[in-house]
Amino acid sequence: MDMGVEVAGLRLPTPLIAASGTFGYGDEYRQVADYDCIGAISVKGLYLEPREGCPPPRIWETPSGMLNAIGLQEVGIRRFLAEKLPAVRALGKIVIANICGSSLEEYGELSKILDQAEGVSAIEVNISCPNVAEGGIEFGCDPDMAARATEVVRRGTRLPVIPKLSPSASDMAAVARRVADAGADAVSLINTIPAMAVDVETRRPRLANVVGGLSGPAIRPIAVRMVWEVAQGSRLPVIGMGGIANAEDALEFLLVGAAAVQIGTMNFVDPGVWRRTFDGLAAYCRRHEVAALRHLTGAMRPGTTG
Amino acid sequence: MTFSGGTADRPPPRADLAATLVTRDQLSPDAQLLRFESEAPLRVLPGQFTMVRVDGGGLLRRPYSYCDLLDDGAFTLLVKEVGVGTRALMRLPVGGEVSSLGPLGTTFDLPPPDLTPVIVAGGVGIAPFVLFCRRLAESGRRGIVLLGGRRRPDLYLWETFERFGMDVRVASEDGSAGHHGFVTALLEAALADAGQPFLYSCGPTGMLLRVAELATAAGVPHQVSIERRMGCGMGCCLGCVVWAQPPSGGPAEYLRSCTEGPVFDAETIAWNRDPHPL
Repeated sequence: MDMGVEVAGLRLPTPLIAASGTFGYGDEYRQVADYDCIGAISVKGLYLEPREGCPPPRIWETPSGMLNAIGLQEVGIRRFLAEKLPAVRALGKIVIANICGSSLEEYGELSKILDQAEGVSAIEVNISCPNVAEGGIEFGCDPDMAARATEVVRRGTRLPVIPKLSPSASDMAAVARRVADAGADAVSLINTIPAMAVDVETRRPRLANVVGGLSGPAIRPIAVRMVWEVAQGSRLPVIGMGGIANAEDALEFLLVGAAAVQIGTMNFVDPGVWRRTFDGLAAYCRRHEVAALRHLTGAMRPGTTG
Repeated sequence: MTFSGGTADRPPPRADLAATLVTRDQLSPDAQLLRFESEAPLRVLPGQFTMVRVDGGGLLRRPYSYCDLLDDGAFTLLVKEVGVGTRALMRLPVGGEVSSLGPLGTTFDLPPPDLTPVIVAGGVGIAPFVLFCRRLAESGRRGIVLLGGRRRPDLYLWETFERFGMDVRVASEDGSAGHHGFVTALLEAALADAGQPFLYSCGPTGMLLRVAELATAAGVPHQVSIERRMGCGMGCCLGCVVWAQPPSGGPAEYLRSCTEGPVFDAETIAWNRDPHPL
């Protein structure tokens, strides 16, 4: 069974990628997750400088989901390269650096630094974190801003560039087309959906940041629809994510057009998700006599099951 | 930790294991001591915790201190009903299974031989001290345990600590057992009786803060277990942070109560930076 996929010029041994912000700097789960089933790791979002993040409380559980407002607490690009990258490289995994910027210049600078770094295989560009408001710039919602962020990253590196799209954009396919023209090699989607919850007893918001990002199975059908729209409406390869918990969930994303998928929140719930999803995908391919998993991308049929 | 009582330097290996509920003791109307048998042997140090997943208990796992670790590899959890996660665990039938991801987090160090341990615990905050006192008793040592709660039934596992040979002193807010009031009122006398004390605490934040103030004023070393709402327990979601100085030194930052904690050197915690959780 050929479980490998190719996306953005990366040859991944499995289609399963650890989603940024849920897998630390890559080696935290080494004792409990089956890394053989992981095709690549997208590390925690990086800025030029360390960030302290939002005050607590930062997370809240919702039906089949999780709200978070971490505010991108991170160590900064230099400490990442010096202290964190060696450990994840030692695991022999493909590393995708996820970058964030509070300005176009910052995106460009991060891109140049990563281009010179050894052991980073691609750059995922976070243009859509809902919990960081600075300068009033929302790169993710506006196709022009998304394209400009992509363009400065593209200019700084020969590495594959993968903008991570915001579900808040009114026309995600339009954003995908613009970042394609700006030099993106693929897009990943969806980032968390802006959401909130209130403690009615105290009449206070559940999160210190008031608004957070919703993730987990609660958002999966929305994410599947968005991946389908982007796959239909642009020529870029798509990396799909949103509450994937097992092979069936991953297959939905593949069938509507994703070339690979990311697993995030469900890794918190069950680090066994990697092995279970990988085995389930292989079993599906055998059962449906699919010679290579990549043949399933976009293989949804017309009509309904009835 | 800036001081080490000589517990293992290397953390025990962690794993996600199936655990079967074998007995349930109803300790009070809303608290239970649950005994699980793990599918594989465990090595756990006092103060460590497990992330438990139970059917019907919400999406995310919930953190519980290991209360005790028994010779046959079984472990106990002290659970008080606070929400959907604890409720599902307290209604799990005997013979039912959970998954238990652990052991996680930092540990309470046994005190140096010349210091006397003084433990202050409120409510279910007593949980991690059962294993701790078992280890103390095994090395032939004694300590003082101050136990507080709203009323007598909330003073969990009192007799267990007496069985370990600890000097147990209790307080209840309604006066139904021991001192009438907060457990922290017992602290100054306990510190004096201990001579050279080493403080350990776990419980509601208000209590921890008061213990920390008294410890600082008395110049007593103090380890505190702090739990915040956790998403993963593995150091990846960054949900459970506490503003504190890192063990390696340097300026304070948001540290993860799952990874740099739950046991911290109390002096490193900035108690008033963020609102206290309930």
